[in-house]
Amino acid sequence: MKITDACIHPYPAGDSTLARMALEAAGLGFDSIVAIGDVGHQSSGPEVLRGAVIGAASLKEVLRQVRDPAVRGADVVYVNAGEISFNRAIVSVKEVHVVRNIHATRRNAFDHVAARTAAERGVGVDISMAPIIQLRGTKRQRALQRYADILSLQRRYGFGLTISSDARSILGQRSVRDVRGLCALFGMTGAEVSEALSSVGRLTEPHRPVRVVG
Amino acid sequence: MKPRPPAMRAKRRYILARILPYGVTMDQKQVYLSVIEAATSLWGDAAVGFAQPAVVFCDAGYAVVRCRRGTEKDIATALATVNAIADERAALRTVATSGTIHALRRRIKPIRPLSEAGEVKFGENYFTVYRYPRHKVDLVEKGIKHQKSLFFTEADLEER
Repeated sequence: MKITDACIHPYPAGDSTLARMALEAAGLGFDSIVAIGDVGHQSSGPEVLRGAVIGAASLKEVLRQVRDPAVRGADVVYVNAGEISFNRAIVSVKEVHVVRNIHATRRNAFDHVAARTAAERGVGVDISMAPIIQLRGTKRQRALQRYADILSLQRRYGFGLTISSDARSILGQRSVRDVRGLCALFGMTGAEVSEALSSVGRLTEPHRPVRVVG
Repeated sequence: MKPRPPAMRAKRRYILARILPYGVTMDQKQVYLSVIEAATSLWGDAAVGFAQPAVVFCDAGYAVVRCRRGTEKDIATALATVNAIADERAALRTVATSGTIHALRRRIKPIRPLSEAGEVKFGENYFTVYRYPRHKVDLVEKGIKHQKSLFFTEADLEER
């Protein structure tokens, strides 16, 4: 069971290099991290997975982008959530592993239909700590409401959750203990947090029946 | 005025937090204001009034936050939402919680630059280089206020 920070944005997107963020992540109790962008070879420290984020307005655009060599080479493929019909459609795309940016969508944009499909297809939903840390007031309240809503759907339909710091700097990274405290704000239990922190491996390599080759 | 006997005082807990980035000297009052802003924003006036958070120590890159016993988890969560101190980007990392400041002082391991600060040109700007243990390198842009900071490792710096 690998405790994974499901999304970080190292330099040049942020102000901290991948090696430095990996060093910090190890100190904060993570076994692996998913870095968005160009990931070089990391000789030591936690395992670094390569992530790719697709930001598209239509399913057609998503299908075009998943064929991109940079996305095909990624270990974890994220798609930014959007309108209700878009979210229902993207959870059916085989190449998509995780739907992210759910806090920025409208209420009920990720509904029970999308939740059921996500559970059937093994697609996860990312819970980012950045809105809880960075935002204040009504914006943070809205993010907490969205996360509580996602959690209730997850408890009912059983799709995977991932937890990410969404950090662009070492100053945005938080320890596993802090993540537990922050997730408790919208009602997530310690066991659910542990499950979510270790779910990246299950989403990228789901259990499938043994296939005889040759 | 005669002090209240120990048995009648409210029980307290102390939280040790490391201040990031390394090397910045933060004023105790500024740290207190950031902690109170974060806690009040997260938990509201009533809960923070009950928890009575206060910064009782701030030195060597660490801060000790005092609170009422039973509220330490809430205050530790609030510390995780601190993202600026005195308009400078910063973070507080909870290290330990204890019933005495004495026990927390034993956990304080001051992090100081390993050698003399160097200088490097990065793009168009000049940065001061501070090297820390475990091959960590902080680059602080030369300037008067709101300098940009970059967080590298020794290997990253050699590559560039």
